[in-house]
Amino acid sequence: MNSNAKPLPIVEVVNLCKNYGLIQALKGISFSIGKGEIVGFLGPNGAGKSTTLRILSGLIPADSGEARVCGVDLAEEGGEVRQHIGYLAENNPLPEDFRVIEYLNFRASLKGLKGSRKKNRIKSVLEVCDLERRVSERKIGNLSKGYRQRVGIADSLLAEPRLVILDEPTIGLDPQQSATTRKMMEKLRGEVSFILSSHILSEVEACCDRMIILSHGQIVAEGTLVELQAKYISSVSFELVSKNRKIFLLKVIRDIAPDCELIKIDPVEIDGKRRFAFACPNDEQSVEEILKKLLEIHEVDVSEFRICRPDLETIFLRATKQNWKERDLRGRGRIS
Amino acid sequence: MQGFPVILRQELFGLFVSPATYVASFYFLTLLSFGFRFFIEGFSDTDWILPPLASLVLGLLFGSPALIPFLTMRSFAEERRLGTLETLLSAPVSNLTVVLGKWAACYLFFVLISLAAFCFPLIVCLFFPVQASSRGFNNSEQWFGCGLYLLVFGASFSAIGIFSSSITKNQMVAGMLTFTLLTLYLSLMTISFAEATEYANGDDFSEFIFACVGSMFQGLAKMQAFSLGVIDLQTIFHQFSVLFYFLFLASLKLDCITK
Repeated sequence: MNSNAKPLPIVEVVNLCKNYGLIQALKGISFSIGKGEIVGFLGPNGAGKSTTLRILSGLIPADSGEARVCGVDLAEEGGEVRQHIGYLAENNPLPEDFRVIEYLNFRASLKGLKGSRKKNRIKSVLEVCDLERRVSERKIGNLSKGYRQRVGIADSLLAEPRLVILDEPTIGLDPQQSATTRKMMEKLRGEVSFILSSHILSEVEACCDRMIILSHGQIVAEGTLVELQAKYISSVSFELVSKNRKIFLLKVIRDIAPDCELIKIDPVEIDGKRRFAFACPNDEQSVEEILKKLLEIHEVDVSEFRICRPDLETIFLRATKQNWKERDLRGRGRIS
Repeated sequence: MQGFPVILRQELFGLFVSPATYVASFYFLTLLSFGFRFFIEGFSDTDWILPPLASLVLGLLFGSPALIPFLTMRSFAEERRLGTLETLLSAPVSNLTVVLGKWAACYLFFVLISLAAFCFPLIVCLFFPVQASSRGFNNSEQWFGCGLYLLVFGASFSAIGIFSSSITKNQMVAGMLTFTLLTLYLSLMTISFAEATEYANGDDFSEFIFACVGSMFQGLAKMQAFSLGVIDLQTIFHQFSVLFYFLFLASLKLDCITK
């Protein structure tokens, strides 16, 4: 047996297309997700996130392309895949008349769990999702949005799925409830693969190993945060708070990095300190050298220094902006 | 068929806890009991050709447009309105299993109500044995024939209700559609009552099929046969084809919704 053999990915998608009438929801997307990975799906409204997730969960068929989930070919055995996955639909529709425990019992039976295994799994998911006994006896219709979301997630985890697909799991939740959801995913990290679609970029940034950014049915960016930063952010920016004059600081910094640009100056305190923001086209190495140099020179009075790492929002906006521009150009070409 | 018993149990539970089903069943059975009482009282003075037990079945059948919508209208329409159908279908169950589970629950409830209605002649047998015997309540063939007739019609009528519920998100629309379709069906059965049959030869297969499909006509005439204990297979076959046709349509509709 070859010990170096790469494990099969949990999700493998090749050239997936889906049309709704004349609208092309997915235009041949390809990606793969490994075991235990937490992957974030990002994109503006109508980008094709939910369509992709619904196809992967076996709810709707694709028009063309290949998709394999947990080794199951969706084109041949679309229903079979539901044995291996947990799915939380967008807006998490739940029957309001059920008590939480009744609902989980029903869903567990529907997923083929029986006897003591069913009992243990229900107990386990109630624990993972922090649904204590007091809540599990309440009717779903009387629960807050956060608890309802937890019930939906508990349902998706019931049958010990290998892949959990969560379509906007934190929509409408307060920061504390979002943190609970993140904590729940952290507990299962490595055991279960997660695909998570969200508009809340900080959320995806905080808990996902990798991101896939969709726009107009196409993947416009894919990779870890570091990879995306390297791809979409060409300069490193840093801020410093100092009493020194602008010309003096620029001279010192440009001795190290001649291409460094001053982006903005903001007054911070009444005593004359100002916040300077610089953008350096080189890597972080030169920024570190600048800091060293500033510390060496006695005339320089720096009270604060911070490297500003570009967040996912900046990357997201840049990646999708490019796609919007291309689309816009194509549109104009068609008109002319 | 994984999940069929689970869906069936859940839907039955839903029917048992729904006040609408209780109210509908109560009024239906009360009206039926009054009708039955007055009918058997004045039966000897009428020239009614069907035995009293068959008349009870007809009462159930003609009352079903008012009863079946209450049992079936919620099943899919409510799930579609709340969006829970998607959650349900995300479990490893097929569309057909969901349709069958929901239909079976509504049908079983209908059978329960029918059983309750069949208690009326049983009460007569228990407390007034002489009168019961004079009205033919002691004939087991009558009980069997009438029961079977009701069972097959109840099955197809429930399927019509399930189909109506699958095509709309509005319970009221589903209910009205079921009422309309069942009334139309029963009207066709009634206006064709006692018309001459031209297709009863059954010489070849096409004639047989035509006869089965056409058995909706003379549906009441067939009731006469059933009430005497004569089982008409064509009627049973016809009702099964109606049942499968509407369940198939409901399943197709679910496929369309998920696409």
